[in-house]
Amino acid sequence: MPYQLAVTVRASVPAARVAEVQELLREAGRKGTAGELFPFAEVESIHFARVVLIPEAPGGTDAAMPASVVYMAEVDGPLEAHLRDLVRKAGDGLGRVFGLCDGYPAGGSPGSSERAQIAWLRSHGTSCAAYYVNTAGRGRQQIDQEARLREAIEEFLDRNGPALAGASPAGVRAAIQEHVKGRADLAWARARPAPPPLGWRVRQAVHLVGVPLAALALLPLLVAALPVWAVLLRLHERRDVPDPARPSHDHVRELADCEDFVAQNPFTAVGSVKAGRFRRATLTAVLFVVDYGVRHVFNRGNLAGVRTIHFARWVFIDGRRRMIFASNYDGSLESYMDDFIDKVAWGLNAVFSNGQGYPRVRWLVLDGAKDELAFKNYLRCHQVPTQVWYSAYDTWTLRDLNTNARIRAGLFGPLGPAETEAWLALL
Amino acid sequence: MTTTLDRQDIQGLVTRGYSTLPRAGFLVFAITQPTAARAALGRLARRVTNGLSEPSDTAVNLAFTSDGLRRLGLETPELGGFPYEFVSGMTAPDRSRFLGDVGENAPRYWRWGGPATPPVHVLVMLYARDEQRLHRLEEETRQGALAGGALAETIRLGTAELTGHEPFGFRDGISQPLVEGLSKAEGLSKAAAAGAGGGGEGDQVVRAGEFVLGYPNEYGLLTDRPLLPSRYDPDGLLPRTPQGAADFGRNGSYLVFRQLRQDVEAFWGYLDAQTRRPDGSSDPAARDALAARMVGRWSGGAPLVHAPRQDDPALATDNDFGYFATDPDGLRCPLGAHIRRANPRDSLDPRPGSAESVSIGRRHRLLRRGRPYGPDGSGDGTGARGLHFIGLNANISRQFEFIQHTWLNDPDFNGLHDAPDPLVGPRQDNRSTFTEQGRPVRTRHLALPQFVTVRGGAYFFLPGLRALHWLCTAAPEGGQQ
Repeated sequence: MPYQLAVTVRASVPAARVAEVQELLREAGRKGTAGELFPFAEVESIHFARVVLIPEAPGGTDAAMPASVVYMAEVDGPLEAHLRDLVRKAGDGLGRVFGLCDGYPAGGSPGSSERAQIAWLRSHGTSCAAYYVNTAGRGRQQIDQEARLREAIEEFLDRNGPALAGASPAGVRAAIQEHVKGRADLAWARARPAPPPLGWRVRQAVHLVGVPLAALALLPLLVAALPVWAVLLRLHERRDVPDPARPSHDHVRELADCEDFVAQNPFTAVGSVKAGRFRRATLTAVLFVVDYGVRHVFNRGNLAGVRTIHFARWVFIDGRRRMIFASNYDGSLESYMDDFIDKVAWGLNAVFSNGQGYPRVRWLVLDGAKDELAFKNYLRCHQVPTQVWYSAYDTWTLRDLNTNARIRAGLFGPLGPAETEAWLALL
Repeated sequence: MTTTLDRQDIQGLVTRGYSTLPRAGFLVFAITQPTAARAALGRLARRVTNGLSEPSDTAVNLAFTSDGLRRLGLETPELGGFPYEFVSGMTAPDRSRFLGDVGENAPRYWRWGGPATPPVHVLVMLYARDEQRLHRLEEETRQGALAGGALAETIRLGTAELTGHEPFGFRDGISQPLVEGLSKAEGLSKAAAAGAGGGGEGDQVVRAGEFVLGYPNEYGLLTDRPLLPSRYDPDGLLPRTPQGAADFGRNGSYLVFRQLRQDVEAFWGYLDAQTRRPDGSSDPAARDALAARMVGRWSGGAPLVHAPRQDDPALATDNDFGYFATDPDGLRCPLGAHIRRANPRDSLDPRPGSAESVSIGRRHRLLRRGRPYGPDGSGDGTGARGLHFIGLNANISRQFEFIQHTWLNDPDFNGLHDAPDPLVGPRQDNRSTFTEQGRPVRTRHLALPQFVTVRGGAYFFLPGLRALHWLCTAAPEGGQQ
């Protein structure tokens, strides 16, 4: 079984070509994300994929931050295999959009050009400051198989409902087992899903233990720094200027045009980090903690009470002067934002209060997102349209995926009477 | 923390559903001559029923689409403070997709409010004690409105006499949020404070700002509302905010209107076919039981959570229940039943059964003021029956649209799959199912047909009376100041 990687490939667009990129992405989005320009459906490693244009931003006293094209995908590792497949299947589309950026290799013989393209994509890769995976290790194949298993069992029950009405729970389960055993295409269901590769698990374990050990070693330093940091934080927070702007209706329409087609939606936003070293350092530290939390604590289907996020990533760009936040979630943006406010406002505040214009926050985690409309306006204002987006399982929500996995896990093997009833209730 | 509502300035439809005025007719107008229309509407505005009066003969309420407000002269940039959904309108492509208004429900097939029908600017809602009074009221309204070509009638939407039952035969309108600051809510909010949680009646008291603009909502905040620079209102007709802006939104509400045709024959025909005995004969008891399980209440009103086996007249208006303690698995009231979706009570994440779960639900409530229509005079062809769905809320996106999209239409609601609302949900393919949870295993009904079709609709703003007066007399004509 694989592990799910976050791939980010980013390249600057010369100002003169921004309009062209915009038009290209709009056109690709109109044709449908599985359409001819970006045939992501043919790339079997992809869970979700998107191509977005991140607009330029003024740099204040520093240099301006250029516009860029970003390919972001959540894929089954390893990276090399994904990039190779991506270039083979979607190389034309990527070539057209990245070809508008500087230095993309074009031409040459098919073999050498493929190698050059992969090398270019790799060299433009950006790592995440933090990356959330709803259920670590659940690969594409497992998701597809478990969905098919559930459908097969549901159909079996639909056909045989009257005949099974008088049976005991154990009897119904035995009948289902017999049916699945009789289906060669479901033979894999008798085994557990394989765990991720050993190397990946070792790296995770080292990270799990290593980070607290390092923190322990640095504890005296951290304890000494904490009061100073807290005072500085409050000073900064008092000086902060929330941005009362509402998103223009044209902007909202452009965003809404890319939303609510299937069971999930993409969210892509970009914002400037507040000026100065203090905020940059605070955000770096917060995201370090977030990364640890999502890798080791919130890696079983639940991000601090929110169960509808498939993947989320936080990526620094422009020398940490800006940050991209990108996620794939179930349902509508309204319900996503309501979840943020009702369940994880503290977490949102800790990260985004380091961004310019965020609603006023106290002590890094208080207030902020609790100001409902100010927070929703802030998110909408910073959101960018995700015109090109693909979901590999666009009718299955996380609740479905988890139910499917539990159906598979409980199908064979011993279950007590109460467990059998609970298992049957999944169907 | 008590809120006093300015009932004299709030339109009467917010505070009451006029159940003592069982006859109603809705006139939809397009504004043809703004100046004359303002005069005509100004005259009509004087008859508008406020939230304090208890009308025994007739009542009049008045609402406007964003196009209507613009035509009357309210043309500040983006009608500042009005939300995107209201300004874009119910038939914008992104709203249609969101609301499930696609396929048969698409606005291009609508009788009114769609792209192929005359404009919708003004909604005049008329209520009367009997047919005769309604007729007279309608004639007077028409004469005033049409005089001098000020307005053109887009459609007349008649209603059936209010009986408390909707066309499928179920008692309707039992569960309403109780609005903080209105009389019935007062005693109950104390009851809720005494024993919170559980999803029962006391928990239904909702902050006034969820329905009326200018008051604190469930977050303890004021929902965005249209505010104008004070120069737009030199005579001080509108209330002022603490910052000095003229408050056009205060005491107003958003009115969601949807004409929903109900295919009564298809509904009962499907249920009959699903519940035939092995010999092929109809089984009326099984048919009614399946219908009740789709709704979540028996036709008489008794909720399945309290009356799982048969209807119980003693529980006809029972609204004092939750789901988590009595029926977490849907064995009494199926997980996908209509009333479990429209108001999940205490079954919401992250902690079902808790007061927190109920309080999250309180952010997604509607005041329902709908009226049934048909079989005639409905503006929907002879023989058609259905519901003029009318919902009031302060935040269309978080309330009406959320309920419609995330609860009613979501095929994955409550852990289900391929299962939109069995009663009112749209079916975009042949995959829709309805599941009755059971032991040892569920029963799933396949290829569920669509029983309800959208025939028209629009988002309206139901202004406060002072705002209405300002709009008809003092608003800057043609947006010029």
